[in-house]
Amino acid sequence: MNEFEALEEAVSKGDIKTAVAETQRALDAGSEVKSILDKGLIAAMDKVGDRYSKGLIFVPQMLRSAKTMQECMKLLQPLFQEGDVTSKGKVLIGTVKGDLHDIGKNLVGMMMGGAGFDITDLGVDIPPEKFVQKIQEVEPDIVCMSALLSTTMPSMSRTIEAMQKAGIRDKVKVMIGGAPVTEKYAREIKADSYASDAGSAVSKAKELLGIL
Amino acid sequence: MKPIDIPTFQPQLKVLSREQALAIHTAALKILEKIGFKMEHPGALEMLANAGCQISHDWVRLPGHLVKEALGSAPRQIALYDHKGKKAMPLTNGNHFYGTGSDATFTLDLGTGERRRAILKDVANFAKLVDGLENIAFAMSMANPEDVPVENIYVHVFAEMVKNTNKPIVFIADSGKDIAKIYEMACLVAGGEDKLRSKPFILNYSEPISPLRFPQNVVEKLIFCAKKKIPICLPSGSNAGGGAPVTLAGAMALGIAENLVGLVVHQLAGKGSPFLFGPNVSVLDMKSTVVSYGGPEWSLTQAALADMRDEVYGLPIWAFAGASDAKVMDAQAGAEAMFSILSAMLSRCNLIHDIGFLEYGSTSSLEMVTMVNELVAMSRFFTEGIPVNNETLALEAIERVINGGPGSIFLTDDHTFKYFMQAQFLPKLLDRSRYDSWEEAGAKDLYKRCNIEARRILSEHQVEPKPAEVLQEIAGVLQGH
Repeated sequence: MNEFEALEEAVSKGDIKTAVAETQRALDAGSEVKSILDKGLIAAMDKVGDRYSKGLIFVPQMLRSAKTMQECMKLLQPLFQEGDVTSKGKVLIGTVKGDLHDIGKNLVGMMMGGAGFDITDLGVDIPPEKFVQKIQEVEPDIVCMSALLSTTMPSMSRTIEAMQKAGIRDKVKVMIGGAPVTEKYAREIKADSYASDAGSAVSKAKELLGIL
Repeated sequence: MKPIDIPTFQPQLKVLSREQALAIHTAALKILEKIGFKMEHPGALEMLANAGCQISHDWVRLPGHLVKEALGSAPRQIALYDHKGKKAMPLTNGNHFYGTGSDATFTLDLGTGERRRAILKDVANFAKLVDGLENIAFAMSMANPEDVPVENIYVHVFAEMVKNTNKPIVFIADSGKDIAKIYEMACLVAGGEDKLRSKPFILNYSEPISPLRFPQNVVEKLIFCAKKKIPICLPSGSNAGGGAPVTLAGAMALGIAENLVGLVVHQLAGKGSPFLFGPNVSVLDMKSTVVSYGGPEWSLTQAALADMRDEVYGLPIWAFAGASDAKVMDAQAGAEAMFSILSAMLSRCNLIHDIGFLEYGSTSSLEMVTMVNELVAMSRFFTEGIPVNNETLALEAIERVINGGPGSIFLTDDHTFKYFMQAQFLPKLLDRSRYDSWEEAGAKDLYKRCNIEARRILSEHQVEPKPAEVLQEIAGVLQGH
C-alpha cells in the first residue's frame, strides 16, 4: 500500500484541508520532503491529469486538485535543500504584444503548474524585448506564447526573431497556442511545438523535455 | 356564414419573468457602480469623467443614471439597407434576420470536404452564397484568410465581401485605423458619406474583453462608429465559466454591464447613433474549454435578453444561431443548428449571426449555410402560427368533398389547389421522397444535397456587379493610395 494514499486521495478530490493535514502528518512522521512531493503530490496530479485527459473529470475539478497541491507545497517549500529537483521544468508564459486576452493562457499556466512545472506568468501584452529579458533572467526550459487574435499572431514570430537576435533561441524550447494558431503556423515561425488546448500543452511540454 | 376575423397568434418564447429581468438589470448596474471597469482609451476616460463617473487611473465607476440617459438617447429602431439603398433589415420589434459569422480559421472545402485553412476566395464564396439564399439576410466574412497581409486583413476581407454580395454586411475591424479605410470603401459603395449615414448597409462588430476590460483599439472603433453614425454592436464574450461566472444569471449581468458601458461611451460620443444591444453569453465547456456554439445555454441567455429588451432596454438585440460544435455537418450539426434557429426566432431575437459555423466557430461550411437557409424557412413557417378564418377552416371544402360522390377527394378540390403552397411548408433540401426514388437519385444524405446546392448557387447565381469606377476606387483604397 502506498504510504501517501490518503494524501493522494485528498489531492485528487481537491480536499484542501485534508491534504494539508496529511502533508503535515507525513512530515511529522518523518517522511522525506522529496518523497512526499514525488510519491504523494505529483503522483496524485499525474493521475488527475490522466483522468482529465480521459474525460472522466472536468476542468474545475482538475484545477481544484492543482490548487490543493499548491497549498501542500507551501508546507514543503521551506524544507527543500539546495539542489533538490522540485519541478519538472521551468516555464515562462505570456500573451504576446497587442493581445490582452488571458483566459486560455492562465488555464495553460495552471494546468502546467498542476503537472509539476514551475511557472512564471508574465501576463498579457508582452513585447518581444520583455520576453527576451525575462528569458535571460529566469532561464526557463520552455517559453509559452499565447494569442487569441489573428492580428496579434505576428507578435509570436517577432518574439522568436528577438530571441534569435539576442542569441538565446537555442537555450529554450518555444511552444505556442491560441484560437487562430495552427500547427502549420508554428512550423512557419520555427516554434518547437504547438498545443491546441491546455491539456495537450502539458503533454507537449513533457515531450519537449523528454519527460515520460 | 358570418365572416370570422381573428388575428393569428404567433408562437413566442418567454423565459424570464419581469421580476427576474429587473433583478439581472439591477445586478448589471451594481457591477458598474460598485465594482467598475477598466477603460484604456484616454478620450473615453475623459468623456466618462466629464459625465460624472468616478475615475481612478483607468478604473471607472459608472452611476446608473448615465445608463438611463444612454438608453433614452439610443434609437429604438435600426434599419440596415442593401448596397443600393433599399431597406433590407428593419431591426425592430420581433423582426428576425439571419446571417453568417466572421473570422473562422478553417473551412470545409467544397470540393474535397477536407478541413483546411481559410483563404480570401472563401470570403468571396460565402458572400456570394449568402447573396443567393433567400432566407439569409446579411453577410459576415466567415473566414480569417491566410493569403492576405495580416496588417490589413479586415480591409481586404471587406473589399471581397462588397464585390460578392449586395446584402447588408456586418464587418470586423482591428482598430481606428483600418475601420477608417473600410468606412472609405463603404462610402464609395453607398455614394457618399451622407448616403451611407442615412441608409447604412454596414454594421460593425467589436468586442471588449470579459471581465470588464475595454482596450483602446476596441473603443477607437466604438467612438468612430458613434461619430459617423455607423451602426455597431459591442458584445463581450461573457461566457459562463470563462470570462464570466459559471451561473447564467451572473454571466448575463456581467455581459449586460459590459454592453451598457459600450452604450454609454457610444452615446456620449454620438448622441442618437445606432447601437445594437446584447452580449454573447454562451458557456466555456468544462471538459474541452471551448466556447460552445451548439449548447442550449446561449439560446437560453439570448431568449432571456429578448425578454429584457421587452421589459427594460427597448433596443434591438444581437444574437446567434445555426451553428454547431460538431466537426463535420452531421446529425449533431443539424440538431444544434435547428435548436438555436427555432429558439432565436421564437424568442424574437433581431440580428442573428453565426449561421454556418462548425467546430465551435473555428470552421465554416458552405453546406451548413445552405442547410440553415432551409431550416430558417422551416422555423418561419412554424412561428407564423395557424391562421384561423372561414377560408382556412374550410367547411365548404369539407362539405363539397363529402357530398361529391365517389372519387371526390380533397386533393382534387379547388380549395387545395388554391391554398397548398401557403398552407404547407414545401421543403427543398429536406428529403421526403419515397425510398426507391431516394435510392435511385443516388441515396444522398443532407450534407451531399447541400453540397450540390451550394455548388449550383455558386456557379449559377449572378451577383449584381458594382460599377467599374467604384471597384477601381476600392482597389485604390486597398493599395493605400
